[in-house]
Amino acid sequence: MTFGPTVGNVGIYVAREMLASVPEAQRQAYLRMVEGISELKYQLGVEVARQLPRLLAERDDALVERYLREVTDVATVGWKSGVEVAKQLPDLYGAPDTTLAGAYVDIVTRATSGVGDEADTTGLAGELDGLERELRNIEPKVKRANELRTQLAARDRRDEKRRKHAVELAAALPPILARLRPRFRSAYLDLVRQVAAVDPEASLEAADTLLDLLNSERVSVEGAGQWVARGLVILERNREVGRGYFRMGSKYALDVLEELKDGLALKDVARILKLFATALAGRDVAIRSAGEAAGSDTYGAAHIVLPTEMSVFDSDANNFSAYKVATAHGAGRIEFGTYGFSLDDIPGTVGDLRRRYPQETR
Amino acid sequence: MAVESQRVEDFRLSKEPYYLPLGNEVELFEAAYNARLPVMLKGPTGCGKTRFVEHMSWRLKRTLVTVACHEDLTSSDLVGKYTLQGDETIWQDGPLTTAVKSGGIAYLDEVVEARKDTTVVIHPLTDDRRVLPLEKKGEIVQAPDEFQLVISYNPGYQSVLKDLKHSTKQRFVAIEFDYPPADLEETIVVSESGVDTDTASKLVTIGRKVRNLRTHGLEEGVSTRLLVYAGQLIQAGVEPVEACEATICKPITDDLEMQRSIVEIIATQF
Repeated sequence: MTFGPTVGNVGIYVAREMLASVPEAQRQAYLRMVEGISELKYQLGVEVARQLPRLLAERDDALVERYLREVTDVATVGWKSGVEVAKQLPDLYGAPDTTLAGAYVDIVTRATSGVGDEADTTGLAGELDGLERELRNIEPKVKRANELRTQLAARDRRDEKRRKHAVELAAALPPILARLRPRFRSAYLDLVRQVAAVDPEASLEAADTLLDLLNSERVSVEGAGQWVARGLVILERNREVGRGYFRMGSKYALDVLEELKDGLALKDVARILKLFATALAGRDVAIRSAGEAAGSDTYGAAHIVLPTEMSVFDSDANNFSAYKVATAHGAGRIEFGTYGFSLDDIPGTVGDLRRRYPQETR
Repeated sequence: MAVESQRVEDFRLSKEPYYLPLGNEVELFEAAYNARLPVMLKGPTGCGKTRFVEHMSWRLKRTLVTVACHEDLTSSDLVGKYTLQGDETIWQDGPLTTAVKSGGIAYLDEVVEARKDTTVVIHPLTDDRRVLPLEKKGEIVQAPDEFQLVISYNPGYQSVLKDLKHSTKQRFVAIEFDYPPADLEETIVVSESGVDTDTASKLVTIGRKVRNLRTHGLEEGVSTRLLVYAGQLIQAGVEPVEACEATICKPITDDLEMQRSIVEIIATQF
């Protein structure tokens, strides 16, 4: 069914038989009226569509107009009352007392809107509108306040964590310094200070790692400085990854260390050299690093002192060979008793020589 | 152990096994044999215990029945058992019974590996009774005068749990073996592998140096047998360093640093 351009959605409310009951010439007007009243509330449109054919049949335009106005008036103050009025009003129009319909509409309108409250209601509504406008204006500020509260709480937690790690660092540093060789202490503290300034937690990791690196002389002091500088770049970018770096828990940290080390570290081959020397000398031989044995003999009765790092050649294989030569040299001295000689033996030796070579010593 | 499928004579050595005496072990063994005393050979792996028994077996012209003992070896495996053959149940002598009956030499190699009940079976053979009870058969076999019981074990690597019981130990004349002195070991390597004396000398030097590591992570030193293997590979055309790595270095340790140090010791000679 098509009602033309003015009809819109009115077909929802108008049943086929209702439309059929309206004279052909009045149908467009009927539909427009229903559509107009439906804009207030669709239930109102349904009821008006049901009642209007009766009024249109009387061909009294003024009555139809009155009906629509009065229904609209009532519906404006309360749509449910409007629906009821739309249903009852056509019957009241037909009453002998012509004032009855008007009185009915007036009573229902007043009953619906309430007496004397209108001014108050308007005032309250106005106040409410004002408050709602204010609330709408204040909403971004509340949101921002919440954001700031979250940020500050996070900073508080971070500060708390930082203070906790600072305390841990304060407790850890003295024993570490006691274990660190004195000549590294100044450089060590400077490096730990650099890391602590960025992240105390990472500085705890760095404190342990640098102790090992410097004591074992896997890197020089300059190398350790470069290693820390590379780590700080990582730390600035990502705290967790940076902490892993200073814990020596990342491949990158090991790669950087490998890149910075000067040669072959004694620590890495000490056991092989010890076994090698022990096998050659036929007795238990200890390998000691030059740093560890500072001030003692290079070769002793049961130990061989070797440089903590061998960097004579570019390749590790050749540096190992250099270590091996030095070890074999030391093992030879140990095997054949070079250092077994003691001044206390001289009187006995002289006596032996005299007995063995009486002619020559006479 | 289908001993009966082989004739006892199959256990007689027809050719003299090479053995270079290191001390008075030959005389000691002969004296024990003549006195009908059981013998215990102690010493590290590959120092020549088995070869010595073979040599003595040939020297005394006795058959030699060798049993390699292991933890699943039962007294039945050693003495004998009833087996089904067609419709019949027949008794089958174990290697020990075979050796006793034939008056040969029974050699229980690495006896400490065998179960305790197994070692107890040999007790009646090791005292003046010299009998072997076959409990399942209800028979006692008297060992002839020519029979000799020899056991061997390596006290070096076996744990306390696997040590021989004193009641067993104290029934034997013990002959202790060790790696031979350098000059004799060199002679053995030359004789067994065919390498020249210079190569043999280098191999023996390597062996002696590596043996210095016995208390530093090596359970056992390089045996003379491994030095002979190295010589045989070199004689077969293998590069000396490779031959030594394959026979001296890799079999005796899985410790990579230990292997590396042994390789370096090899490198001092080749």
